[in-house]
Amino acid sequence: MYKYDAVDKAIVSDRVEQFRGQVSRHLAGDLSAADLAPLRLRNGLYMQIHAHMLRVSIPYGLVSSEQMRALAQVSRQYDKGYGHFTTRQNIQFNWPELADVPDILKDLSNVEMHAIQTSGNCIRNISSDQYAGVATDEIIDPRPYCEIIRQWSTLHPEFYWLPRKFKIAVTGATEDRAAVKFHDIGLEVVYNDNNEVGFRVYVGGGLGRTPVIGKVIKDFLPREDILSYCEAILRVYNLHGRRDNKYKARIKILVNAMGIDDFRDEVEAEWQHFKDGELKLHDIDFETMQAFFPKPAYEELTSGDDRVAKWRSLDSRFKAWYDNNTVDHVEPGYRIVNVSLKEHGVAPGDATDEQMDAIANIAEKYSFGEIRVTHEQNLVLADIREQDLLEVWKELDQVRLATPNIGSVNDMICCPGLDFCSLANASSISVAKQINEKFDDFEELYDIGEVKLKMSGCMNACGHHHVGHIGILGVDKKGEEWYQLTVGGDASNDAALGTHLGKAIAKDKVGDAIGDILDVYKDLRSDDERLLDTFRRVGIDPFKEKVYSEEA
Amino acid sequence: MSATKTVANRAIKARAKATPDRIQKDIISAKAIIDQKIVDNAIHHVAETEELTIADLPEGDISVPMNMWLDHKAELQARDSLVAVQIAADEFPEDFVEEYAEISHIVLPMVAHIDGRSYSHAFKLRTRFNYDGEIRAIGDVKYDQLGFLTRSGCNAFELPESESLEVALNAFSEMSDVYQPSADGAPLIFSRRRTVH
Ligand code: HEM
Ligand code: SF4
Repeated sequence: MYKYDAVDKAIVSDRVEQFRGQVSRHLAGDLSAADLAPLRLRNGLYMQIHAHMLRVSIPYGLVSSEQMRALAQVSRQYDKGYGHFTTRQNIQFNWPELADVPDILKDLSNVEMHAIQTSGNCIRNISSDQYAGVATDEIIDPRPYCEIIRQWSTLHPEFYWLPRKFKIAVTGATEDRAAVKFHDIGLEVVYNDNNEVGFRVYVGGGLGRTPVIGKVIKDFLPREDILSYCEAILRVYNLHGRRDNKYKARIKILVNAMGIDDFRDEVEAEWQHFKDGELKLHDIDFETMQAFFPKPAYEELTSGDDRVAKWRSLDSRFKAWYDNNTVDHVEPGYRIVNVSLKEHGVAPGDATDEQMDAIANIAEKYSFGEIRVTHEQNLVLADIREQDLLEVWKELDQVRLATPNIGSVNDMICCPGLDFCSLANASSISVAKQINEKFDDFEELYDIGEVKLKMSGCMNACGHHHVGHIGILGVDKKGEEWYQLTVGGDASNDAALGTHLGKAIAKDKVGDAIGDILDVYKDLRSDDERLLDTFRRVGIDPFKEKVYSEEA
Repeated sequence: MSATKTVANRAIKARAKATPDRIQKDIISAKAIIDQKIVDNAIHHVAETEELTIADLPEGDISVPMNMWLDHKAELQARDSLVAVQIAADEFPEDFVEEYAEISHIVLPMVAHIDGRSYSHAFKLRTRFNYDGEIRAIGDVKYDQLGFLTRSGCNAFELPESESLEVALNAFSEMSDVYQPSADGAPLIFSRRRTVH
């Protein structure tokens, strides 16, 4: 993975000292809370209902064992012994003291981590495919491109006070696991007719109050131009994005107001001024960066280890885990292991210090010392030998990280909701529990297959409900918590927003409604259709009829 | 470039006056920071109101809104003291390209420091229009903005009276390195690494 050089180190440690200065000026009364607010935000520090929340950047979700141990240590020393892995592949600590934050950042800088630009109206952490480098459908490894964009966007002086936050995602595989069409800028790798690498560029996608699918601004952008083209988009947005209303300030609103064609013309005109200047990348830059993400020292193995078949037949729990939580690897004899952070009864995405340490150790022992964070609030061990699967499973199971539910209804994305968030209309964690309890029969879950369930506690959509195969949105009805359901959303290649099922549902009936939706699916599905496929074929009506039938 | 395309929300080009993005009250500071040094300041920044006329301008060094400059250039040039010109966040530097040869000081009024448009204005003035006079940020400009404003092309600052200029000077040395080019002509980090490899 990427290792800091002297420049990276200087920038991150100067930044820690700069923030230490800001905090001490504030504590001494020389910097008002109002003036500190945007500065602390650009260092990942929010105010929440109960306390500050610190969001630490995990660039494109990649974290080493050493870094994971440092995160565990932060949660132990400065927090309540757990952290929350987020949908943008970062980690959040919910209880740090303001005065401790400069020390936390100092500790993290020792393992080459920081919280720069993890919040505030600036360019955020670059997100990507959690299977980068090991996916069977990979065209090109997106990580070098992510790291190049990360460095260029870090402390960019001109784009630090944008109209609103700005998120960039990169995918290098056929299947889009990075939701590039739901980012302010999405980059999807493509080859042109001359076999040159470039990117299809999407702009203006996003969720939140006004969900929009990103539009193609450029069909083929040569890879050497990614920085200058991003800069042109950012400059047009910085100058023309709305600043009078924060709900209309994202780039998606600007792109819709101007129309994609006029927006493109404006960006292209801007780009012409400097496209062949200093920002142009050279082949050597990609090679140098790719060298930080080498193929690990794989052994020569063959796939289909006999022992795995035997273990699967002997132990139904191992079988369930293998079938659900592991994925084909590009290298023979290896598998990708998903580590579920959706244990029954635990807030989705949370991990304790003990679990983080355990993961760090397992990764060191079996997976070249690297871990990935997924945008579905889980972790990944990318390089596990098939012959080690039983041991890995046992070690994960010991720390309750082997719940065999990846991709199922129980593997839901869920925002913090009323339990932590001052904006929430309704709680989401307790509804997650209700659903966990209703669907506790794993055999049934496996029969249902892939269902991406996503839940947000209000229309800010932190839980991405618009793109859930089933989406749940908390709404407030005269002070009571109600839930609006959607069906058919999709964050991947065939990006779609979910269709409204009907009027909101009472809190204690949400589990039943999900049950009804799944029953309709089981009745109507043909062959190997997923819920999403069946919905696309039959539409919303059969689901609607069943869910609301009892009231009729 | 500006002639090629009109942006949807750019009705502003009709040269609106006294918008919320212009300074609402005159600004007079006793001191300024110029080229990273604290100096006495004499420029009186005149706010743009609907009623403002050329007869209202005070004696001595002043900065005037761009509208005033465009309407009364000859009279302003006839004054025997400094006349600087303001470009507000909602104006566009490319609309005034012909003027820059005659303007020695440009003032960027920051009504709210969270509004980043003036950074792009400074960047364009320096890199695209090769403006080499003074670019001065005034208004809601404090310690923590000075570093990035400098990189974007500003070389002079006036801070609100409550701010310590001596402390603010630290802003220029806080960060010892940078990753990307801006108006400061810094190289892209990757081109530096290219020469090392
Ligand atoms: C204090 C209250 C809030 C809390 C606790 C909260 C929490 C979260 C969390 C945990 C995430 C996951 C992503 C990550 O951190 O990397 C997230 C993302 C997100 N937040 Fe919030 N948030 C809050 C306020 C807001 C507000 C005010 C808005 C919008 C006006 C908002 C819009 C979003 C959106 C749209 C995402 C999804 C990011 C994406 O595009 O993938 N949130 N938030
Ligand atoms: S979706 Fe709403 S309730 Fe949930 S975290 Fe975001 S702002 Fe809070």
